[in-house]
Amino acid sequence: MVTETVTMMDPSGLKAIGAALAVGLTGFASAYAEKEIGTAAIGAMAENESLFGKGLILTVIPETIVIFGLVVALLML
Amino acid sequence: MLKPKQMSRAVIVGHKNILEETVDALHKANLFHIEDFNEDGSDLKIGKPFESGSEVSKKLVKIRSIASLLGVKDVAVEKQCPSEVCSQLDSSLDKLDDELGVLAEKKHVLENELKEIGSSKKDLLPFINIDLDLDLYRGYENLAVFAGHVKENVEPSISKITSSYELYHDQHSGAVVLFVARDKAADVAEVLAGASFKESRVPVLSGVPSRLLADIEQKEVDVTRKIEAINTEIEALKLKYADFILASNELLSIEVQKSEAPLRIATTESSFLIDGWLPTEQYVEMERTVNAATNGRAFVSPLDITKPDIKKVPIEYDNPKIISPLQEIMNLYGRPTYKEIDPSALIFITFPLLYGMILGDIGYALILLTLALAIKKIVSSDAVKPLMNILIYCQVSTLFFGILYGEFLGFPLAGYHGYPGLIPGFETIDLLATPFPGEVIGFPLHRTHLVMTFIVATVLVGLLHLNLGYAVGFINEKRKHGISAAIFEKGSWFVVQFGILLTVLGYLEMLPIVAGIVVFLIGVVMLVKGEGVKGPIELPSLLSNSLSYTRIIAVGLSSISIASTVNLIAFGMIWPPGSPIGGMTIFAIVVFLFGHALNTALSIIAPGLHALRLQYVEFFGKFYEGGGRKYDPFGYIRKYTEEK
Repeated sequence: MVTETVTMMDPSGLKAIGAALAVGLTGFASAYAEKEIGTAAIGAMAENESLFGKGLILTVIPETIVIFGLVVALLML
Repeated sequence: MLKPKQMSRAVIVGHKNILEETVDALHKANLFHIEDFNEDGSDLKIGKPFESGSEVSKKLVKIRSIASLLGVKDVAVEKQCPSEVCSQLDSSLDKLDDELGVLAEKKHVLENELKEIGSSKKDLLPFINIDLDLDLYRGYENLAVFAGHVKENVEPSISKITSSYELYHDQHSGAVVLFVARDKAADVAEVLAGASFKESRVPVLSGVPSRLLADIEQKEVDVTRKIEAINTEIEALKLKYADFILASNELLSIEVQKSEAPLRIATTESSFLIDGWLPTEQYVEMERTVNAATNGRAFVSPLDITKPDIKKVPIEYDNPKIISPLQEIMNLYGRPTYKEIDPSALIFITFPLLYGMILGDIGYALILLTLALAIKKIVSSDAVKPLMNILIYCQVSTLFFGILYGEFLGFPLAGYHGYPGLIPGFETIDLLATPFPGEVIGFPLHRTHLVMTFIVATVLVGLLHLNLGYAVGFINEKRKHGISAAIFEKGSWFVVQFGILLTVLGYLEMLPIVAGIVVFLIGVVMLVKGEGVKGPIELPSLLSNSLSYTRIIAVGLSSISIASTVNLIAFGMIWPPGSPIGGMTIFAIVVFLFGHALNTALSIIAPGLHALRLQYVEFFGKFYEGGGRKYDPFGYIRKYTEEK
C-alpha cells in the first residue's frame, strides 16, 4: 500500500509572501522610476537652483506606487 | 496673511542733474523695486553709469582680492561709521595693498625655493646609501658610469664580462653605481637590462650625498620656518584690517550699486525716468523721501497696474512673524503670484500637523526640539533660523501626537492587552470599537495595533486636506476668472465627491443608488465644461491622491519598526532583562544610542519629505500656480557700517 504524504502550505505564510511581493515589487518599480526622474531633476537643478521644488515633486510622484503596494500588503496581512 | 502685500507701480521723472540725488535717496530708502528698462522698441536710452563708478569698482576689486587672499570671513563686527571708513579708505587700502603685496611676493619666492629643495632632495635620494662624492660620477674619458636601481645582484654576471670594474651596490634599496671600461659598456648595459636596471639622473652637485642631504634638509626647515613667519604676519594683518575690509567692502559695494543704477533707468537727453514697484502702504513715505532729497524737483506719480502687468508684480509676503519661516517652504516651490492666495498660513498648520501625525513620538520630539533650539541659539545664519523654526513647529506637533499615540523612542508607554508598557500600571483605556476585527480605539492610540483604522483615518484626513485645496482653488479661480469659472473648475470636484458619497450610501441601501449616480454625472459634466477633456482624465487622481495620505501611517510604522528593532537588539538580545549589569550593558547602551541617533536623523528626513510632498503635490496641485517674482528693492542692508 502506498502512503501519500500530504504537504500543506501554511496560509499565513503564503499571505506573508504575497505581502512581501506587493511591497518589494512596487518598491523596485518606484525606485526605478525615481532613479530616472531624480537624475534629470538634479541635472535641471544644477542649471537652475530654483527648480528644486518642482524637481522634488516630480521625483516623488512614483512613490505613490510603493505606497499602494504597502497598503495592499497591510490589507493582506 | 493669505495675500501678498499690495503693491503699487510708480514712475519717478526728473531732470538728469538730479539723478544722482534721486538714486541716493531711493537707495537709502530701500523700498523701490526698479523695473529694468529695456531699450527695444523705445525712443528712450539706457542711462550711463555715474563717473565715479569705474574708480569705485577698481577699488572694490582690489579690496575683494585682498579679502580673499587674507581669507576674511563674514563675521559680526562692531558697526563702523561710513564717513570715517571713507576718509581713511584710500590711504589704508594702499598701505594694506603694499604690505600684503610685499608679504605675498616673499611668500611666493620662498614657496618656489621650497619646491626646488623638494625636487633636489628627490634627485639625491637614490644615491644616499652610496658613500661616493658626486664629483666622482662624471668627467671620465674611458670610463662609463651606470647609476640607478636593479632588482638583483649583478656582480656575478658582470665579473664574467670583465674583471676591471668598480661596483657599489646597496642590497637594501637596490641602488647601484657601476664604473666599467667604455669598450665593455654595451655588454654591461645588456646585463643590466636583464636585471631590470632603472637609470637615475645624477644630480649636478658636489659632495657626499648623505652630507648634502643633511644640508638640504636643514635648508628646508629654515625655509618652512620663514614661510610660517610670513603666514603669522599675514594673519596679524588680517586681524588688524578685518573690520576695515568688511566695512569698506560694504561701502564700496553700495557705491557701485548706486553708480550702476542708471543702467537700469530710461533716459532722454536731459531727463530720466525710473519705473518700478513698491508696497502701496509705503508709497507716501517714498514720495516724501524723494521730494525731500531733490527739493521737489523729481516727480513721483502712480501708474495703473494693467492686466498683463499682473504677472510681473514683484511679490512681498505679508505674514505675521510666526508664520514667516514657512515662507521658505513657499520659496522652495515658487512665490505666489499677485492675485493668488498665499498659502503660507495654511501650511503653517497643515505641514507641522502632517509631520507630527507621521512621527508622533515623545522621545524624538524632545530630542529634536532640544537640537533645534540649540542650533538656533548657536548658529546666527539667517538661512538656518527659519528652518530651525519650522523644525520647532513640527516637534510641537510631534509631541502632541506622541502623547496621543503614547510612544517614547519606539516603546509603547501604556500596556496593551497583555503587552507591557514602559510606564507600569498605565493600561490602555478602550473607548470605541471599530469595524475592523481586533482593533479598538482607545487612549493612547496604538498605531501598530490599529493599522486598518489608521489607513481609513489617514485617507479621511487626506480628503479634508484635498478639499481645503479645492476650496482655496475656488477662491483663486473666482478672483481670476469670475464665479462661474470657479464653480465649473473647482466646484465640480465637490459635486463629484458628493455624488460618490451618495452612491456609497446607496450601495449601503440607505438611499436610492440612482440619486448618487445622477449627482456624480452632473459633477462630471460640470468638470468637462470647466476643464475640458483634462477634467475626466484627472478624476482617478481623487482616488490616488487620497490614498497617497496613507503614507502618514506607513512611514510612521516604518519609523516605529526601526526604533523598536533597536530597542529589541539592545535590551532584548544583547542585554536581556534580568541579566546582571556588566560589559554587555555598556554595549547595549552604545547600540541603543547609535540606533536612535540614526533614527533621529531619519526622523527629520522621512516625515519631513513626506509631509512636504503632501503639501506640494497633493495640496498645491489643487490650487497653486506660483512663479511670482521676488520683491527686491533697490538698496542695501548694511551689516558692517551704520549711518549716524
